[in-house]
Amino acid sequence: MSAISEVEVEGAVLAARRHRVRRTPLSWIRGGGLSTFLFMLPLLLAFGAFSWYPIVRTAVMSFQHTNLVEAPTWVGWQNFDAVIHDPQTPIAVRNTAYFALLALVFGYPIPLAAAVLMSEVRKRRGLYSALAYLPVVIPPVVAVLLWKTFYDASSNGVFNTILGWAGLGPYPWLQSPHWAMPSLVLESTWANAGGTVIIYLAALTGVNSELYEAAAVDGANLRQKVWHVTLPQLRGVLLVTMILQIIGTAQVFLEPYLFTSGGPANATLTVLLQIYNYAFGNSLGGDYGKATALSLMLAAFLALFSLVYLRATRSWSQE
Amino acid sequence: MSDHPSSGLIPPGEWRRPSIRFGVGGAQAMLLLLLVIVGLGPILWLAKSAITPTNDTITHPMGFFTHGAAWSNLREAWVNVDVGRYFWNTIVVAVGSWLSQIVVATTGGYALSVLRPRYAKLINGLLLATLFVPAVVLLVPLYIEIVHPPIVHHTFIDTYWAVWLPAGASAFNVVLVKRFFDNLPREIFEAARIDGAGPFTLFWKIVLPLSRPILGVVSVFAVLASWKDFLWPLLVLTDPSKQTLSVRLPSIQSQTSLGVFLAAMFIACLVPLAGFLVFQRSFLRGTGLGGAIKG
Amino acid sequence: MKSKRLAGAVAIAGVLAVCATAGAAVSSTNSVTISVVSLIPGSTKAAINQFNAQVAEFEKVNPTITIKPVEYQWTGPTFAAKLAAGTLPTVFEVPFTDARTLGDNGQLADLTELAKALPYFSKYNKAVLAEGTDSKGQIIGLPKGAYAQALHYNRKLFQEAGLDPNTPPTTWAQVRADARQITQKTGQPGYVEMAKDDNTAGWILTTVVYSLGGRMETGYGTKAKATVDNPETVAALNLLKEMRWTDNSMGSNFDYGWSDINQAFAAGNVGMYVSGSDVYTNLVQASNIDPSIYGLAPIPLSKNPNAGVLGGGTEAVVKPTVNAAQKAAAMKWIDFYYEQPLVSQPRAIQNARTLAANKQPVGVPALPLFNEQQYNLANTWIKPYINVPLAQMKPFTTGIFGQKLIPEPEASTQSVYHSLDAVVEAVLTEPDADVPSLLQQANQQAQQAITSGD
Repeated sequence: MSAISEVEVEGAVLAARRHRVRRTPLSWIRGGGLSTFLFMLPLLLAFGAFSWYPIVRTAVMSFQHTNLVEAPTWVGWQNFDAVIHDPQTPIAVRNTAYFALLALVFGYPIPLAAAVLMSEVRKRRGLYSALAYLPVVIPPVVAVLLWKTFYDASSNGVFNTILGWAGLGPYPWLQSPHWAMPSLVLESTWANAGGTVIIYLAALTGVNSELYEAAAVDGANLRQKVWHVTLPQLRGVLLVTMILQIIGTAQVFLEPYLFTSGGPANATLTVLLQIYNYAFGNSLGGDYGKATALSLMLAAFLALFSLVYLRATRSWSQE
Repeated sequence: MSDHPSSGLIPPGEWRRPSIRFGVGGAQAMLLLLLVIVGLGPILWLAKSAITPTNDTITHPMGFFTHGAAWSNLREAWVNVDVGRYFWNTIVVAVGSWLSQIVVATTGGYALSVLRPRYAKLINGLLLATLFVPAVVLLVPLYIEIVHPPIVHHTFIDTYWAVWLPAGASAFNVVLVKRFFDNLPREIFEAARIDGAGPFTLFWKIVLPLSRPILGVVSVFAVLASWKDFLWPLLVLTDPSKQTLSVRLPSIQSQTSLGVFLAAMFIACLVPLAGFLVFQRSFLRGTGLGGAIKG
Repeated sequence: MKSKRLAGAVAIAGVLAVCATAGAAVSSTNSVTISVVSLIPGSTKAAINQFNAQVAEFEKVNPTITIKPVEYQWTGPTFAAKLAAGTLPTVFEVPFTDARTLGDNGQLADLTELAKALPYFSKYNKAVLAEGTDSKGQIIGLPKGAYAQALHYNRKLFQEAGLDPNTPPTTWAQVRADARQITQKTGQPGYVEMAKDDNTAGWILTTVVYSLGGRMETGYGTKAKATVDNPETVAALNLLKEMRWTDNSMGSNFDYGWSDINQAFAAGNVGMYVSGSDVYTNLVQASNIDPSIYGLAPIPLSKNPNAGVLGGGTEAVVKPTVNAAQKAAAMKWIDFYYEQPLVSQPRAIQNARTLAANKQPVGVPALPLFNEQQYNLANTWIKPYINVPLAQMKPFTTGIFGQKLIPEPEASTQSVYHSLDAVVEAVLTEPDADVPSLLQQANQQAQQAITSGD
C-alpha cells in the first residue's frame, strides 16, 4: 500500500492542473477528459434519452394537444382543467387514497410484528424468512390471476368453499363495489409483505443488544422492551418504509387493471388506471395531454406529501 | 439454518421462563403455521390444480385428485399455449435489460466516483432528483418516443430494444454502484495509476473485479424487476410472438380451459421459485441491503 | 454472305437476350409482398392450417404476390400503438364504428378506384357500403362481414329446465321467465350479460335499449345530443335489476367481456346471452364448443315502432402508406379472401371446402353484404359443406329478415358505450343502485365526449 495519502495526491493533481498553460481539446484528451466522457456516455445517453428528456416532455405535453398525426398545438391549462372537471377524477383520487390507507392498515404492522417474532427464533429462522418471501418471488401477474381464481364469487370459488366449511356464506369478492378494493389490498399485501419482513428483520438484528440489557436492568418486561427499545431503534427504517409504501401504493396499477379493470362501477378506478385510460384506452389514439397533466398532478402531490412527511417526521426523529 | 444472531430482545437465559417459552414460543409456532398456510398454501394449490382436470377444479377446488391427475394440462400448456416461447421471450428481455443496467451503472458509477470530471456534481444532482420522480411521469413521452423516435425514423414498437434501452436509465442502480465505488480504498487506484494504468485498464482490471458484491445486488434487482415488469412491455410489445409471459398470460385466459391455464401459470412460476431456492441468500441479503440503504 | 447471316443471327440473339433480361427484370419488379391479418393468436392448429391453405390458393392464382399472414387480436391499446407506429399489416380489419373516423383522419388508403373496378361492385347493399365510405365520399374499406345482435341460448340447459329448445323466448318478459326457470331447475345462470368496463357493458345495454325502441343519441358528429337517460334505458336497467336481485337468475359473475362470456357459454355454464350473431365461429375456434348445445334466436323486439336490432360489422382496410403495386395486391387479397366467397361460386366452394377440411365452421349465419337474393344463392353453393347446426339456428335465420336493422350510435360510439359501463355494473353489483342519478351522470359523460369529438 502506498504511503502517500489521498489528500496529497489530490493536491498534486490540482497543482498540475493549475500549471497547465491552456485548455485545448488536445490537452483535454490528454488529461483524460475524453476517456472520462466515454465512460459517462452510456449514462448520459440512457438518462438523456429515456429519463430526462421524457420528464421535460411530460411537462411540455401537459400544455399541448397531441394526436400523433399532426403537429402538437398549445392549449394552455385546458388539459388540467379537463382533468379536474372530469367526474371520474375525484373517484380515482378517493379510491387511490382508500387503497393506500387499507394497504397501510393491513400491510404495515403485520410484517413488523412477524419480523419481531422472527428475530427471536432460535432454530431454522431461514425457513421463516424463505416462507415469508416466497409470495414475493411469484411473478405479480401470476399472483393476481391466481387470486382472481380464488376470488370466484360462486359458492364453488376457492375462498367461498373454504369459508363455507365454517358456515360462512358465499361472498361476492370482486363482484361487489364494497368488497372489491379490500380484495385487491389483500392480494397486494400477500404479494409484497415478505419484502418488508426481510427489511425489518435485517434492521432488527442490527439493534444494539446492550440497549436491551440496560432495559432489563431497569426492570422492563418483554412488551416494554419492544416498545421502548426496539421500535425507537427502528424508527428510521419504519419511517422510510412507510413513506415508500405510501408512494408505491399511490401508483398502484396492476391489481385494478387485471382484477377488475377499474370496476365494478368504478370502485377500483385508481389514478394510474385513469392515466392509462386517458393515454391508451381509446383505440383511435389517446388524449396524451390529459394523461400527462394527471401524471404531473400526481407527481406534484407525492413530492409535496414527501416534503411534509419528512419535515413532520424529522421532529420525531430528533431524540 | 443454525446460528442466527439475536438482537438480544430475549436473551438466552429468558427462554427458560415458562411464560416466555410458551408465550413467545407458541406465538412463533403459530406464525410458522400461518406462514406455511398463507405463504406456501396458494403455491401448493396452484401446483395441485395444474394437474387436475378443469371440471374438478371448478366444481371441487379443494378436492384432491377426485378423478385422477391430468398431466396433459402441462403438455397442452407447453405445446398449445406455447408457454415455452413466452418463457424464452421473458429470458431474452431480462438478459438484455440486465446488461443494459450493468453497463450504464458501472460505467456511470465509475466515471462519477473514480474519474470525477468537473461536471460530476451536476450529474449527481440530476440523478438524485430523478430518484424522486415517479415512473408514471415518464410513461407517455417515453411511449411516444418509442413509437416515433425523433432521430431514427423507424419505430421501436415490437422490438426488444424498446424494453432493453429504457431499462438502463435506473438512477437507483447508479447511486448504488457509485456509493460502492466511493467506499473502495483510493490507494488501490493511485497504486495502479502510478503503475501506468489508464482509465480503461483501471476499470476493467481493478474496479470491476472488486465490484462483484454490488454487481450481484444490482443483478438480482435487475432480473427481478424485469421479470415483474408488466405495463411497459404490455404497451410496447404488441406482437404476441414477442411478448413476455406476464404480458401474454392474461390475454389467453379466455381461450384456454382453466386447467391448462393454471398449468401455464405454474410453469411460469418454476424458474423464479427455483432461482429463489438456489440463490436464497443473495435474494434475502439484497433485500436487506436495499432496506439498509433506504434507511 | 455467311458473315452477314452470322452477324444477323448474333444481332437477333443479342436482341432476344436483352428482351429476356428486360422481361425478367420487369417480372421481378412486379413481385410484391404484403402482410395481411390472419387469426387471433392462440387459435387452434386446424384454424391456422385452413388460413394457410387459403393463402396458398391465392398465391397460386397470383404468382407475383407473396402473402405474409400476421396473427392479431384487436384490443384498443394495441391497435392504437400499431396504428401510431405504422406497424399494422398491409391489410387489416376495423369495426364499422372506427372505419369512417380513421378514413377522415387519413389513416386508411383510398380504395375508391380499385373498388369500383370490381365486377360485383354495383351489387353491394348500399347501407353496408356506406359504412366503408368516409365523409369525403372516398371508399376506404370493403365489408368483411356484417352481423346483427342475437340471442344465443343453450339448448341442453333449456331441455334440462323443461323448456322447448325449438321455441326460444320472443319477448323480454319470456326471457326473464325462462332464465328464472333455468336457474331453478339447473342451478346455472339463466341469463348473463356482458358487464366489463371495456365498453362491452354499454354495447349490450344499447342493444337491449334499441330492442325496446330507445336511442342513445340524436343528431350527428360533435353537434349530436346524448340521450342515454331515455325511458327505455331505465326499463332495460330495471329488467336487469329484477333478474339479478329478485330472480337471482344471472349467476355470480358480473365482469364478463366479449371473449369471457363466449368461453363460459361454450363450457355449458350459461343459459342465454346477447352478442353478435357471428360469434359461433369464435365459440368453435377458441373454446371448442359442443355444437349440439348451441341455439340462435333473434333479439326479442318490443311493440314499439322504433324497436330494432343493433347491427355492426367489420371492414377490411388497407394501410395508407402503400405504393400503387401494394395497394393493387391488397385489393386482390381483399377480393379473394373476403368478398369472392360471397359472389363467386367456384371461390365460395373452394373456401367452404378448405374450411370444412380443417373442421372450421362453414355456413355461420351472417347478414347479407349484397342483397338477400345473393345471400341465399351463396348459401346454396356451399350447402354440401355446411357443418354448423343450421337447424338449431333456424329461429334466427328466419326471424332476422323481418327485423329492422339499426346501425350503432354514430357519434363517439365507444365513449358513449363507456359512459354506460359503470351504470350496468352498478345495477348488477349493488342492490340499491340509484338508476336515475347514475343515468344522469352517464348522460353528462357521454355528452362531454360527443362535444369534444372523442
